[in-house]
Amino acid sequence: MSAPRPALVPSPSEEQAMLLDASVRFMDDLVPLSAVRARADGADLDDEAYRRGAAGLGWFGLLAAEAHGGGSASVDALLDAALIAAERGARLQPGPYPGHSGVVRTLSAVADPAHDAVLAELVQGECWASFAVDEAGPCELRRDGRGLRLVGEVGRVAEADLCRYVLVAADSEDGPAQVLVRTDAPGTEVRTLEGLDVTRRWGQLVLDVEVGPGDLVAPPGAATQALLADQERVGALLTAAEAVGAMASDLDQAVAYAKDRIAFGRPIGSFQAVKHLLADASLAVEMATGLVAAAAVALGGGAPDGAELAHAAKAFVAERSVGVAHDCFQVFGGIGYTWEHDQHLHLRRLFADAECFGSAGWHRDRLLDAAGAPR
Amino acid sequence: MTNSPGPDELDAYRAEARAWVEENLERRADAGARSRKPWELEEQTTEELAVQRGLQRRLHEAGYAGITWPVEYGGRGLSPAHERAFLAAASGHQLPDLGIAGGATFGVCAPTMLAHASPEFLRRHIPRVLAGELIVSQFFSDPDAGSDLAGVRTQAVRDGDRWILNGSKIWSSGAYYADAGMCLARTNWDVPKHRGLTWFLVPTDAAGLTIERIRQINGDAEFCQEFLDDVELTDDDVIGEVDGGWSVTQTMLLYERGAGSAGGGASARVGLRSDVVELVDAVAGWHDPGVRDLVARVHVDDLARATLGRRLLARMAADPATAGNLASYGKLASGVYDPIRANRLMEIAGAAAVAWRGPDEPGAAAALGLLNSRFMAIAGGTSQMQRNTIGERVLGLPREPSFDRRTPFREVVRNARDWSGSVG
Repeated sequence: MSAPRPALVPSPSEEQAMLLDASVRFMDDLVPLSAVRARADGADLDDEAYRRGAAGLGWFGLLAAEAHGGGSASVDALLDAALIAAERGARLQPGPYPGHSGVVRTLSAVADPAHDAVLAELVQGECWASFAVDEAGPCELRRDGRGLRLVGEVGRVAEADLCRYVLVAADSEDGPAQVLVRTDAPGTEVRTLEGLDVTRRWGQLVLDVEVGPGDLVAPPGAATQALLADQERVGALLTAAEAVGAMASDLDQAVAYAKDRIAFGRPIGSFQAVKHLLADASLAVEMATGLVAAAAVALGGGAPDGAELAHAAKAFVAERSVGVAHDCFQVFGGIGYTWEHDQHLHLRRLFADAECFGSAGWHRDRLLDAAGAPR
Repeated sequence: MTNSPGPDELDAYRAEARAWVEENLERRADAGARSRKPWELEEQTTEELAVQRGLQRRLHEAGYAGITWPVEYGGRGLSPAHERAFLAAASGHQLPDLGIAGGATFGVCAPTMLAHASPEFLRRHIPRVLAGELIVSQFFSDPDAGSDLAGVRTQAVRDGDRWILNGSKIWSSGAYYADAGMCLARTNWDVPKHRGLTWFLVPTDAAGLTIERIRQINGDAEFCQEFLDDVELTDDDVIGEVDGGWSVTQTMLLYERGAGSAGGGASARVGLRSDVVELVDAVAGWHDPGVRDLVARVHVDDLARATLGRRLLARMAADPATAGNLASYGKLASGVYDPIRANRLMEIAGAAAVAWRGPDEPGAAAALGLLNSRFMAIAGGTSQMQRNTIGERVLGLPREPSFDRRTPFREVVRNARDWSGSVG
């Protein structure tokens, strides 16, 4: 009588359901968990096919204006993107979807013809773009003779070596700025990192690069700050949505295992110690899911509580998802300690997601500002 | 009962209702004030109660009590839409307030009676309920049986055409001013526990019935304990079938949960909750990074609980058959997060929640919050019960082995006393 895992929203619209069905078929076909595992062991992903397929389903246009080739399944475009993200997370999918979506949203909002070509590349899946929230602080945009130079490091970018572009936050004399950097430009180095989360690859950007006028996404100033804050919330929210998917699939597997595994003459799920652990984990998943869905609708719709809910969603998911991963691990027992079992993939993914696009503490800090707490 | 009304009919009804409300009900001074929590109900004095009973009588005489209840028992037999229209018309006005037992009467006891009691019983009692003459408290838990409700040992023994009740009931909200109690008793010890229960209506002035108020840790005394010593009732006082009380109980629990809706907190709104802001303003200040982090953690959870409520309602709407089980998430969220929240406010308050000058100080509120914080983890089925429901009915995990479902209750009690841990 196991109920199917409820999606991010209990009753998606017909269009959303179609998008999700097609997306799930696409992922299960092209990058099933066996392909994720093969990549963790060193095989390369057929990234071109993945990008093109995802673009064909409309993943990358959800947060772009129609003029830029965008279009969503419902009036809640950010919720549509979060629905995709949750299904991606449930399948531990590769690619920097949250970061890519944040860059698309920013470039579309800026609507500078200078970036039209890049935006078209991103929407059509010709390449990946991403950005990162580096809690060590932004890079530096300095005047250098006639021009500008971007100098600094961006640590721990998910799937950096898949990205053609990275949108880099920088401080300048005139205030915060955002610079669109080509990862193959002279003076840009992508250092490959080893990492906890083997379902994705990790990189660090080391930058000492000339910045042309067309590389500045928006002139330094308050408007750019607001744009950056929105982009960070979108990246964080979609990361939280991916984590919700991963939490739910980990829990599903743990629940199924608790029904099957026999010990002391009973399925272990009949023991209250195990049952209650899973019930608590399930409550955490329900709360995370409800909060992420509500935040997607509010932030996407420009509601007054959008920023607050987005920061709360990332903080809550970062705080609780790792607990869910531990609870599931405990239910699996020894089998969860083997490479062949999927548990460690979920554990790794959830701990990495908890840090990506702002840790729980980073978002709690911003939540207080968004909620109007006195400084 | 009735077909759904057309818009014209509803408009006319609403207009008529509004006219009556304006004419007869006082405007609430603090309309839209925060809703009271169960532990914040005020003392019902005899004089206040008489006033409120009078107001209820007038409401009934005007035809605005029991709007959806059957006409043959004094209701109006109209649709839920009519009832909503009346409540909308009356918003901002003072409706009769019969306190916590009044809430149980109209929200739980009378609807349960309507579903299970005989027509004669209903003709005798429901019109008096509507007129404010019969406030019914729930005589539900025993001191020996709370979450294991079907394990109650308060008993009713048949003696000719009479029933003799003995035992004790507890946690009856507002029983001290109620007119009767709806009482769950064991009528058969030789069948499994769920099959030997019967419901009775016990007048609170019955000989042999003693009602004592329980002094709670927060200083209130809303809950009562009853002692039944050879209380005599007749078949006329039986609600539903003899030994068929469990199905009545399930109806009652449904209404009880329905009253709490999805639980899990109020709808999301912008900004920090006022109790937190007042506390930090008054005792801690906003500069301490530790305090700020505590405030943020409280707010994250507050928002997660609010949006959980929305999600549960959406899931219930998508699959109404699961509503009863999904409600356990809301209840569990309260049971788990109320104490966490209370502890965090205590930590913010520090020494200010240990001693204070007056009851209006935020430190006092934090301390009271701590004392009240396990209410939802215990009342109406503990958090452990909710985890069982979620585990078994939502996640589909296998049941615990059961020692009391098929064995006559008399043996169950005896076996439990000789518990050795080995079965079969």
